[in-house]
Amino acid sequence: MQTVGRTRTHFLIRAWTAFVVLAIYLPIACGALAGLSKGRYFSFPIRIFSTEWWGKTWDSFEIHVLVQNSVLIALIVTVLSVLFAFFGALAFARYPWKGRRAFQRLLLLPIFFPQPVLGLALLLWFNALGISPSWKTAVVAHLVWIVPVVTLVIAIQVFSFDPVLEEAASDLGASRLFTLRTVTLPILWPGIWSGALFAFLLSWGNFPLSLYTAGADSTIPKWLYSKMVAGYTPMVPALGTMSTLTAAALLLGGGLVRVLLKRRSELRAREG
Amino acid sequence: MSSVAASPASDSLVAQKSPRPVLQLVDVRKVFDGFAAVDGISLDIEEGEFVTIVGPSGSGKTTLLRMLAGLESPSEGYITLRGELINDVPSNRRPTCLVFQSLALFPHMTVGDNIEFPLRVRKMAPEERRKRALELMAKVRLPEDYYSKNVMLCSGGEKQRVALARAFAYDPDVLFFDEPLSALDYKLKKLLEKELKDLHRESGKTFVYITHSLEEAMVMSDRIGVMRAGKVVQIGTPEQIYTTPADRFVAEFFGEVNIVPIRRADGGWLRRDGKPVAVPSSLDIAGDEASVVIRPEYMRFVTEEAGADNTLTGTIFNEYSLGSRLQYQVRSRTGRTFLIEVPRAAAWKGDGEVTIGWDAGNAIVVGG
Repeated sequence: MQTVGRTRTHFLIRAWTAFVVLAIYLPIACGALAGLSKGRYFSFPIRIFSTEWWGKTWDSFEIHVLVQNSVLIALIVTVLSVLFAFFGALAFARYPWKGRRAFQRLLLLPIFFPQPVLGLALLLWFNALGISPSWKTAVVAHLVWIVPVVTLVIAIQVFSFDPVLEEAASDLGASRLFTLRTVTLPILWPGIWSGALFAFLLSWGNFPLSLYTAGADSTIPKWLYSKMVAGYTPMVPALGTMSTLTAAALLLGGGLVRVLLKRRSELRAREG
Repeated sequence: MSSVAASPASDSLVAQKSPRPVLQLVDVRKVFDGFAAVDGISLDIEEGEFVTIVGPSGSGKTTLLRMLAGLESPSEGYITLRGELINDVPSNRRPTCLVFQSLALFPHMTVGDNIEFPLRVRKMAPEERRKRALELMAKVRLPEDYYSKNVMLCSGGEKQRVALARAFAYDPDVLFFDEPLSALDYKLKKLLEKELKDLHRESGKTFVYITHSLEEAMVMSDRIGVMRAGKVVQIGTPEQIYTTPADRFVAEFFGEVNIVPIRRADGGWLRRDGKPVAVPSSLDIAGDEASVVIRPEYMRFVTEEAGADNTLTGTIFNEYSLGSRLQYQVRSRTGRTFLIEVPRAAAWKGDGEVTIGWDAGNAIVVGG
C-alpha cells in the first residue's frame, strides 16, 4: 500500500515538475524558432529554416549600439545600486537607531509605485530641471526603482548576520577594516551577489522606465517593443534568443569557474 | 586582598608575596537609559586566578564581562589591567579575550582558519600559523584532520574546543568566558568543565568565568563572586560561599535550602509559631529579623532516641529518589514546605506524620 502511494506521489511530483519546466521554456523555445524562420513574418509552422536573421542581427550596427547602451546602463546601475543598497541595508538591518523602521518603509515604498507613472514623473522632473533625457537619466531612473529592491535582497542577508561575530573579531585584535574584509563581507557575499544579479537583470530588462527617461538613446527592451508595435522583423526573436543564450553561457561559465577554483583550493589544501 | 592594607614597613615583603592584581575594578558602574546594570563593583583579580561570577539572569554579570573585554565602556569607575587604566581601550587593543556564549565562530571558515584568525591579524606567516593552530588543536584535544573541516559541521563540544583554541591563539593575559557551556548536555558539560580547569592550571593564565550555575562555579573556581542587581553581594572561595553565605539571597542561590524566618525576643530568638529557636552561640546579627538557613542534608527525622536542637512536625507529601539518597518534602503545621535529604538507609518507614529537626550548629543564620 505504502509503496504504491509513494510511487504515485513520485509520479505526480515528476509530472508537475515537467509541466512547470515546459511552461517556462516553451515560450523561449518558440521565440528561438521564430528567429530561425526565413520568412519575414511571424507564423507557425515555420516553412523554411534559416540563420539569415541571426546573421543580420549579429552584423547590425543599430543592434550593437543598443547592446552597448543596455550593458552600460545595467553595469552602472548594478555597481551603484549595490553600493547604496549595501549601506542602506546595514543601516536598518544591523544598527538600532530611532526611526529605522520608518526609514525602512520609506526606502522600500518606490517598489510599489507603478513604473510607467514613476518614469513619467521622473521625465517631468528632468524637464523641469532642464536636463535632456539620455541613457544617463535612464540610469538615475533605474536606480530609483532598483535600489529599494536590492536593499531588500541584501537586508535579508544582513538580518541573519550575527553582530557578535564582529565583536569577536575585534576581541581577537582585528581592526574594523580587517573585520569588514575577512568577516562581514565574506558572510554577506551571497546577499550582495544576489543583489547585484537582481540589479543587473532588472535594469537589463527594464522597459517602462527606459521608455520615458532614456530620451533618444534606445535600449534593447525599448527597441524590441518599438519593433513589435511597428515594423516587425525576425531580428526581434533572434535578439531575444541571443540574449537568453548569452545569459545561459555566462551562468554556466560562472559555475564552471567556481568548480575549478574550488578544486584548485582543495588540491592546494591537500598538498598543504 | 587584605594584604594591600599592610603597614608601610612591610611593603616590599607584601609586594613579593602578593603581586599587584592583573585586573582591578574600582566602583565600576554601567548605566543604560537610567538603569544601572552594573551598580558599583570593586574587585581585584589576581594573576593566574580562576574567578567565577555567578548570578541570576539580569544581575549584570554579562555587562560586567563586556566591560572587562572592552565591548562596553563603564559609565563610572575605573578598570585597570596591570595598573594601567583601560576604561576606554577598545577590545582589539586589549590583551584579553572573550569566549562568547554563542562562541561566535566564523561560519564561513574552516576550523584551522578560525583558530588562525588572531594570528592572521598579527600577520604571522602561513606555515607558522598552521603549525601553531595544530599545536593548539592538540592542546584542546581536537583531531588533526579537523584542520580543514568546515566549522559549522562540528558538534557542540567540538565547537567549544575550537573557540577555546582560537582564544588561546590570541595569547591573552586574561581569558573571559560568558557561559560557554550552557548549551551543552550534562555529561559533556562535566567533561569540559574539568578540561577547562586543566587548561587553566597548565596555561597559568587568569580566567574570569561567568555563569548562572552554582555547580559550574563550584567545580572550577578559585574564588566565586555572587552578583545580584548589579552588585557583588559576596566574594570568596567556593567553601566560604557554601558554608557561610552572606545573606539569604546567596544561601538560596546556592542550591535548595530551608529557610525559617525568626525574630529577636528578650535575649533569644523566636520562630513564627512562637517556639524558641536554638541558634549558634557566636551569632552576630544587627537587626531584629533574621532567617535560619538549613541545607536539606542537615535536616533529619527526629525520633525518641535521636532528638534535635530544633524540631517541627508536619506531613510528608512528596518523595524523590536521588539514587543513593532520598529527598522528602514536608509541609509543616504552619503551612511552610521543608526539604529533607537522608541516606537511602535512613528512609522514613512510618506514616505521613513526621517530626523533623536540625541542630543549631548545622544551621546558618543570616540577617533579613
